[in-house]
Order: sequence, then C-alpha cells, then structure tokens
Amino acid sequence: MDKTAENIKSKFLELGVDIPIEDIVDRLDKLVTKFKVPLDEARRSVITYFLKENDLDRNAFFGGQSTTPDSRSTPDVKLNGIDEGGKWVNIKAKVLQLWDSSHESVSQVGIIGDETATIKFIKWARDMIPDVEEGKSYYFKNVVSNEWNGRFEVTLNKNTVVEELDEDIEVISSPIGGAGDGQPAPMVNVADIAEDGKWLSIKVKVSQLWDNSHESISQVGLVGDSTGTIKFIKWTSADLLDLTEGNSYLFNNVVAQEWNDKFELTLNKNSSIEELDEDIEIASSSIIFAGAMVDVQSGSGLIKRCPECKRALTKGACMEHGKVDGTYDLRIKAVLDDGNTAQESILKRDLAEQVSGITLDDAISMAADALDQGVVLDQMKLKLLGKYFIVTGSKVDRYILVDSIELQDGLDMEMLDELITEAEVL
Amino acid sequence: MAGYVREVSRRVFAQEFRESNLTFKDGDDQYSPQYLLTPTGAKVNRLFIVGTLIEKEDIGTDSEYWRGRVSDPTGSFMIYAGQYQPEAAQALAECETPAFVAIVGKPSTYTTAEGTVLTSVRPESISIVDVTTRDLWVADTARRTLERVKDLDNMDSNVVKAKEHYNTDKDHYSSMVKEALRSLKEDL
Repeated sequence: MDKTAENIKSKFLELGVDIPIEDIVDRLDKLVTKFKVPLDEARRSVITYFLKENDLDRNAFFGGQSTTPDSRSTPDVKLNGIDEGGKWVNIKAKVLQLWDSSHESVSQVGIIGDETATIKFIKWARDMIPDVEEGKSYYFKNVVSNEWNGRFEVTLNKNTVVEELDEDIEVISSPIGGAGDGQPAPMVNVADIAEDGKWLSIKVKVSQLWDNSHESISQVGLVGDSTGTIKFIKWTSADLLDLTEGNSYLFNNVVAQEWNDKFELTLNKNSSIEELDEDIEIASSSIIFAGAMVDVQSGSGLIKRCPECKRALTKGACMEHGKVDGTYDLRIKAVLDDGNTAQESILKRDLAEQVSGITLDDAISMAADALDQGVVLDQMKLKLLGKYFIVTGSKVDRYILVDSIELQDGLDMEMLDELITEAEVL
Repeated sequence: MAGYVREVSRRVFAQEFRESNLTFKDGDDQYSPQYLLTPTGAKVNRLFIVGTLIEKEDIGTDSEYWRGRVSDPTGSFMIYAGQYQPEAAQALAECETPAFVAIVGKPSTYTTAEGTVLTSVRPESISIVDVTTRDLWVADTARRTLERVKDLDNMDSNVVKAKEHYNTDKDHYSSMVKEALRSLKEDL
C-alpha cells in the first residue's frame, strides 16, 4: 500500500502538485482496511479524489503531460517496449484475435502482436474508430498503454488513428499457441489445466447443463474427463453446435480462464466442437450429504422458465427478455441440515418428481384447480419437510446440484451400537 | 459470496433444552441473531426436533394461539404458534394427537415472576412424519450431543461460557444420551 501511495504522490508531483503522503495513505487505508475495497479500486478512487481536489483533468494524470498529443512527439515503439502504464505510443501490429466483447461500451477487444510481443487491446464504442480485422496489420497511432492486474494493454481513444498497412507484420510465435494460425492447440486433460489464458484442446463429456444467465452465453455447465470436472461457457457469438448432457465431445482451441481461483473453459469463435463416438469417463467429483430437509425454499415447485434463456421467471417476466410466455418446469431448492451444516441443494425436474411424487402434469393441473401455483410448493413441503435424505451431487458455489436423492429408510444398527459404546465410555 | 448464512438447525434433546437458560446476542444491534447456549455448549438459533405431539390446546383469547407439547426420549418441548407463525399454527390446529411431528423452529425463553427461565420453541414449520424419521432423529441427536459432551474439554469460547454458567456435569448428559439410545434399541 505504501508503494501505491508513493507512486500516486510522484505522479502528482510530475503534474506540479505536492500532496502530503499521509493524506494519500489515510485515504487508501480507510478504503482498503475499513471498507474492504481492493487496492486497485482504492488507488483509482484516491487518484480521482485528488484530481478533483486540485482541479486537474483525468487525462493529465492517466495520459502523461498533454491531453492531445501531437503525433510527432509520440514515439513509435515495439510491443515489448511497453513497460509502463499511461504512456502515449504508436505501434505497428497485426490483429491476432478478436474476442467477444463483454460489454456494450467496448466495441472491440482482442490481441495484437508484433515480432517482439503480443498485447491486449481495447477499442471503446464511444470513440467511433473503424473496426479492425483479424489477420490484418495496422499502424495504431496515439494509443495509450495501461497496466491492469499486473499486465499491460493498450487502449484506443478519440485521438487514435488506425491505418491499415500493406505489409504483413511478423508476429512472435510464442506465448499464444494454437489459435489464429490454424494449428490446433495441444491436447490436455482437465487436471492439467493450470494456466490462465492458455489455448488448449480437450476431450470431455458434458455432465451438466445449467440455467443460462445471459443471452450472450449460449450454453454453460460442467464437463469432465477421467481427471476431473470443469465449468465451461459457450458464447452465443461462437456459433457452435449445441451440446447435449451425457454426450462426449472434442473441444478444439478453447481457452482456459481463471476466475475466483478456479479454472473454466471458454468456447469462442476460434473454437470448434466435434461429437465423439467414444464415451468419456468422468471422474467422480460428486459428494454425499445426509441430513434432514428443514426447508423447501421459495422458487421451488411449479415454476415458469423463459423459453429463450431457460431462466426462471419472476412474476411472469424474465430478467433478460421481459414479459414472455414461459414454459412450465418443476424444481426443488431444499435445505438439508445435518446439525452442523445447512446445505442448500437443487433438484431438477426428474428428481423433484421422484421425491415429491408429483409429476409436472399433476402440478400443472393442481395449480389450475387452485388458481395458484403455490399449492404445489405447499404439497411438496407437506411431503418432504422434516424427513431425512441422502443426496449425491456436485458442489457448485453454495449449492449441491443433486444427481440422486434417497429417503433414509431406517436406523443403521451397527451405528447405534457404536454410539451406545461411545456414550458408555464417556 | 459473503453475507447471509442460514443458521444451522441444532440437535438438542428435550431435557437439555429444558435445562438451558442462557441467552445472548452476537453483536449488539436489534437485528443481531439471538442464541440460546445449552449446558453442553450448543449455540442454538434454530433447532430441529422430531418427537411425539402429545398435547395441543388453543390458549388464545382473541385469535388462535396454539400450545403443543412434543416429547422425545428425555422429556418434552413446549411449542407455541400464533398469528405470526400461520403455517405452523394451522398445522397444529389440523393435527391429531398423538402424532410424530418434525419441527423446525427458534428457541424462545420466558422468565417467570420467581425468576425461573422457561424454554419453548416458536415453530417455523411443523410436519407429520413417521416413526422411522423419529428414530433417525434420536440417533442423530444422540450423536451430536455426544460430540458436544466430548468437546467439553476444549477451550472453545462457547464451551467455556457454558461450563462457567451451568457448571456442566458430563456424566449427567452422557447418561441421558445412553438412555435415549437404549430406548431406541428396546423399541426395535
């Protein structure tokens, strides 16, 4: 934190403003310690505060000395020469990959490269710069380097001029293997995935498809092989064939990404999928939990889902698609409790039907008779609450996605004898 | 994701529950959860009981207010459900006695004019179950209680607090568990 403070202080000194280091440290410390703000965010907030305090323009700080650099003074650099954030530079580079933009304010994002290095670039929608194309080379004039999470990237802005080049910029062959040059990325197993941003190919079986959370995502779920399981995301823009639960596939050129200390696979435009005849065996990562069902939560029973994104509707509306004519489904969100842990568990339609004895058709007619779909939840509670169950499934966040559920149907006499012995020796 | 974590439903026999009288709050604003600390150191904000509903009575004057007595191998729990527990009150109203019931609820205490603390349960849900569920609960509660009795030698702050307050007699609770387990075996 002290280093960050020093860094802010010296930047302001360059702009001719001397801010006492204690003031910077105080503000940083309050944000980071008391309000649990990540250091990056805190730094940003502190800079903004002091810029405002001293009536300075943001660009003055982030963009070096002048806000509108004239290109004569902006240096031409090679990509490996970018070792500092907030510098104006000109670069000649080839567009290697265009990624799916995660936000509407970003018009293009991807990787560019020259013979010395590759670097991420971002082009904002508001700057109205013509789109670049994969595989072509350009002269990017007046772009700004940024440091983000310990890595550098370049940002195109309203002063940026992009000129297409006739020459083909030669690109360093390493760090991004595979994609772009038609060569498939190396085959790996799930357990080998340990590096963020790595391109790879993998043979897996689809173990679960989950409720989709966003329209830009076409499918999301869990895939696995004999070494483990991993979450995958298939982007709508990737335009790939739809996966079916239980089938095995070869994923070519997918990217491993680290997210909250876990890895996931993303399937993008450069990826391809082949369905396999062989059946990939998935390592059992499932867990067992035994406990009493102490709650059947709201959102259980008869629900409606958005026909487009499969998300559950609230009050007849989908968060993404608004008012839609939903399709009925059954599910149970149960809390199982063993006296030490309250474990939330999700049962999909087939298991909900099995354990409650209410089929989807039953539920629909019950709701129609009562003019209220809440009756289904009430019936499920009557049937399930207070009883002991054993479930198996995979743990995802705080839930178990249940694969099997059984009523505990009797006392284990051996366990009973063991308990009695234990009580006697105490 | 931080934030709300559901309170675990603790397993406590009726005898231990009746012998509990120490309540405290974690934190000091009005929304801090309240806990009942039992003699073996269970920190109870919610509990799960399966037993036999042996009595029920509407003791309300203006609106329905149901009192029920639920027994387990060691004693009985008093449960009270009124207009603020509509589902539980309705279940009690419709239920026949005796019946095996499973109850998820919150502990509640009342201090009499003489200074005696009475414990009761405010149910969130009451459901009819079968004898297997009841037996499973006895074994389950025996196991959790034994775990706590074994942990009485620990220096965990709840355990220390419980021992200071109740001067907990280990044998008292281990023999309670033993009796409960034996009754289970005899029944079969």
